[in-house]
Amino acid sequence: MHATNAGGAFDIAAALPVRSAAGYDEYPSVSFPTSDRTCVPMRLFVLPAALTALLCVTPSVAADPAPIDFAHDVLPILKARCAKCHTDGTYKGSFSLDTRATMLESSAVVPGDPAASDLIDRVTSDEPDYKMPPEGDRLSEKQVTLLRRWIEADLPWTDGFTFRTAPKSKPLALQKVEIPPATPETGEHPIDRLLAAYASEHDVTLSSPADDAAFLRRLNLDVVGLLPSEAQLTEFLANTDPDKRAKAVEAVLGRDRDYAAHWMTFWNDLLRNDYAGTGFIDGGRKQITGWLYQALLANKPYDAFVRELIAPTPESEGFAKGIIWRGRVNASQVPPLQFSQNVGQVFLGINLKCASCHDSFIDDWKLTDAYGLAAIVAEEPLELHRCDIPQGKTAEAKFVFPELGTIDASVPPAERQKRLAELMTDPGNGRLPRTIANRIWRQMMGRGLVEPVDAMAAEPWSDEVLEHLAGDLVENGYDLKKLIRHIASSKAYQSQVVPLDEEPTTGEYVYAGPVAKRLSAEQFLDAVWTITGTGPDKASANIGVEPQDITDGVAGPPVRAAFVVSDPLMRSLGRPNREQVVTTRPDQLTTLQALDLSNGPLLAEMLTKGAGTLVAKFKDLPSDVLVSHLFKAALSREPTDEEFAVALDLAGSPPGQEGVTDLLWAIVLLPEFQHVR
Amino acid sequence: MHFLIDPHANPRNPAEVAATRRDFLKAMSAASIAALAAGEPRRLFAEEAAAAAPKATADRCILLWMAGGMAAPETFDPKRYQPFEKGLPVERVMSTFPAIDTAIPGVQICEGLEHVAGVLDRGTLIRSHVVADLGNILHSRHQYHWHTGYVPPQTVAAPHMGSWMARVLGPNNPAIPPFIAIGQRLEDIGEKEELKAFYTGGFLGSEYGPFLLPYPDQAASAVGPPQGMTADRFASRYKKFKQLAAASPDAEFASDYHRESMLRSIENAHRLLESPDRTAFDLTLEPKESYEKYDTGRFGLGCLLARRLTEAGARFIEVSTEYVPFLHWDTHENGHETYARMKGEIDRPIAQLILDLEERGLLDRTLVILASEFSRDMMIEGRPGSTAKDQSRAKSDTLEEPIHYGLHRHFTAGCSVLMFGGGIKKSYVHGATAEERPCLALGTPVTITDLHASIYAAMGISPATSFEIEKRPFYVTEDGKGQVVKDLFERSPV
Repeated sequence: MHATNAGGAFDIAAALPVRSAAGYDEYPSVSFPTSDRTCVPMRLFVLPAALTALLCVTPSVAADPAPIDFAHDVLPILKARCAKCHTDGTYKGSFSLDTRATMLESSAVVPGDPAASDLIDRVTSDEPDYKMPPEGDRLSEKQVTLLRRWIEADLPWTDGFTFRTAPKSKPLALQKVEIPPATPETGEHPIDRLLAAYASEHDVTLSSPADDAAFLRRLNLDVVGLLPSEAQLTEFLANTDPDKRAKAVEAVLGRDRDYAAHWMTFWNDLLRNDYAGTGFIDGGRKQITGWLYQALLANKPYDAFVRELIAPTPESEGFAKGIIWRGRVNASQVPPLQFSQNVGQVFLGINLKCASCHDSFIDDWKLTDAYGLAAIVAEEPLELHRCDIPQGKTAEAKFVFPELGTIDASVPPAERQKRLAELMTDPGNGRLPRTIANRIWRQMMGRGLVEPVDAMAAEPWSDEVLEHLAGDLVENGYDLKKLIRHIASSKAYQSQVVPLDEEPTTGEYVYAGPVAKRLSAEQFLDAVWTITGTGPDKASANIGVEPQDITDGVAGPPVRAAFVVSDPLMRSLGRPNREQVVTTRPDQLTTLQALDLSNGPLLAEMLTKGAGTLVAKFKDLPSDVLVSHLFKAALSREPTDEEFAVALDLAGSPPGQEGVTDLLWAIVLLPEFQHVR
Repeated sequence: MHFLIDPHANPRNPAEVAATRRDFLKAMSAASIAALAAGEPRRLFAEEAAAAAPKATADRCILLWMAGGMAAPETFDPKRYQPFEKGLPVERVMSTFPAIDTAIPGVQICEGLEHVAGVLDRGTLIRSHVVADLGNILHSRHQYHWHTGYVPPQTVAAPHMGSWMARVLGPNNPAIPPFIAIGQRLEDIGEKEELKAFYTGGFLGSEYGPFLLPYPDQAASAVGPPQGMTADRFASRYKKFKQLAAASPDAEFASDYHRESMLRSIENAHRLLESPDRTAFDLTLEPKESYEKYDTGRFGLGCLLARRLTEAGARFIEVSTEYVPFLHWDTHENGHETYARMKGEIDRPIAQLILDLEERGLLDRTLVILASEFSRDMMIEGRPGSTAKDQSRAKSDTLEEPIHYGLHRHFTAGCSVLMFGGGIKKSYVHGATAEERPCLALGTPVTITDLHASIYAAMGISPATSFEIEKRPFYVTEDGKGQVVKDLFERSPV
């Protein structure tokens, strides 16, 4: 398994394969989408007898009559005896057991009735032309019993599991997408034309257009991470120019500094860059802050951005170098393997964490794939370790998509990294633009075309939209701002959020419109600092610019939360400690977070201070002016009459220090405030 | 003072444990339910795990954390006593404190722990605990290992032991956070980033993270209105907030997933902040006589707070002597004097905690553990043969100054752990270490993985319990392989 310890066991650790490496090879590699039963624990693997004796990790399997368990009881039989001829593109006798549905389509099984099922007849038959499997040993009594019980139990199936390895057969290169013709209903935008076709195919009604205020708030929070100011809002609402939304998109994208400040958070999470954290204590970690900020400020093309992270300069090498804690670490966590895992996850949406220890049993990645990437950066020959046990083999430098080209292992690491950078950004590598396009789509639209965003082998809910976005990115010279503009100018982006009762299940999700996003810790604090006129005086991040050049001066606090060291409130609100790569943050408020918001000293202090400022500023004006101001500043709208009444009651008349503090609290705790809608 | 104790929280048979766990899932705070629906890591094989669930011997747990590496030969595993003698070769020093008798006939511990010695018959003393050899020593890295069961770095954020318990078992009392960490600051100290890496719910999510109370005497304010706000104003503020939220036009079309779940979490927070049970956090309500028995400093008051919160229904509490590099148990020099002071700080409160729990009839269901990331030795860094760099600051071949007197090197191959209550054997010593250097654990050592398996099993959690993260299983004990040390129990949970 993955989470292994260096020297975790006492003295015997070096001598015994306590982590049961060998067991994994016995299990076929299949792809499991998200489900309750995705990973099979080693205790249920069939281990070679000799090893079993060494392993003290195989508690007995639960005794019968346990409920039938597809993943453990049935799947191994299907995989071993049926899959070769009846899955993944090969369907002898037109019989496909790729999914439960394809099985049911055939007449081979009758749910609930094993006796009536052809499958049971065949596996118990001895007739040469009828029996299944046609070759090899007959199924054992026990296996047949399991199949019978499985059919009896209505063929339970791991949710979403398929034998079909579709992603593999999907071409790596980007596919040309035909954009359906524009109609008055769809408008010209390619995304909307694709979505209209998608909607009719899936028989779904796309959500209605969002109003101007909602659009402006969303646009500003998504692109520069800030609330629109009251002045911006008033101006925008009064503007009668039919092109005002397009112009607003241009304007917000033109705020280079605010844009860079906002996207620092996203990239710091992804590239696990931070201003304080584990590893710095021993010099085992290096920031890329200055490089990253400049790259975002200049909107460095994404291909160049990736090349500079993979074949870095001293300013950008922190990502490739990884994090080193003092002392010895597990073989799967040495810096070259960290590089391998992070490059795979961040740029390609490939999880190589399993394969860093052993051939993965959740997808097709092998130990040699993880080590192939690792060997590229390794200064010394890198010995393959399987579950921390040396294998006596040296890893060969190679890219995960060898069809794009090879890497000469004889040249120095810096040269190999350059080669990797080339291969990664090769026009044939559609996975790179797809992965980032999906991430950007998720940032803007609330849910990825592929979810989770780090499992890019999964099916997108719309291949066409994903290929289109990735293609658009490449055609525009990997310009991420242009991609953002492309999305933001679509009707899709500018429509109302779709309510969700619960998190949609992967594989069953049907797009109908954008999904609300929770404010990140940084967005939340920037917003509160803006409204209350509080916040830090100076940045803790060394971004290499003069303090006066840190914002565009349109809206927001003087120093953005992205530029300061995380504090307990930000941590509580979900800013990760960036020990691991983080590509999505939790989108739900937890009780402990709500506690921090309700009585934590940090927020309380900001609100108290802000209330003092506001009371002084509005002291000669009627209370409703202050209330109206706060609603516009925080929610980009006027209060309703009912809200007005409650808010005035809270603020007091005339508004007092305590009342305004409490009103501020009530507003920033509102779900409406805490979301990008 | 009177506390509500959940009547459902009694130790029970496995079927009841399993059933109650399901009840808990049903009854669990709405926010947690929402969080569960929100793509939180899912428990793998929940049914199987419930069927094989150990028979819980405790339903609440207190970890007394001796942060910084507590030298066993100076505390619970005395070796030959060597008084300070100028010019003496340091290799002659094994223990700098004489041994004293305990309530277990024939078993001795070190001077300075007289109160603990008096209650030692209530529990088990493990002397053969061993921790991993991780090369050059970084305390926080060993602490991470001890608290999570995994050695950093890991590819996903490993949860703290308390988070596992919070996640799998939930609260005993919904008004008391299930995982409370007392005494450890995570700001303004050395290695704070490394500490943050394991004082966390990790991939289980912040719902299961620690409720941090670094200063026990200020705990009441952590569950009260913000400073300077009266209870009336606080209640009124929340009432009006609810009116405002209800009046929001957002309410008409916003989703349960985004809006209602958030309101439920805020409701939960206020339930705690307005609960009568929160008086448990207020040490000023403790009778003076009792308070004084604990009042040896932050750790002592931490023990008192732990007792009060345990009574009120906390699930897992860690009380730390606090890790600050080179302070407290982390003695790179002048160890003898520091240890005399540290023992003064821990001795009486720990004994009182045991006695108080016993008197209240809670000891049988409360598992109390005292542990540290490793032990110390006068000569050996790490373990025999280790290439770890010597970090002692009191380098001298002979005793010249008092600062040379004490065990100043980190030792991983023989450590002491105390366990009380919660089904643990009484008057029992498990394992031993060699009398002469190297003081290696003899017989079968108790590893972190197996010790954790025993702790989790006592709480009714199978050591093979796992959750799915990034499509992979992550186990409560390393790779699910922890083996319960049955000898520690009066009746083993497995």
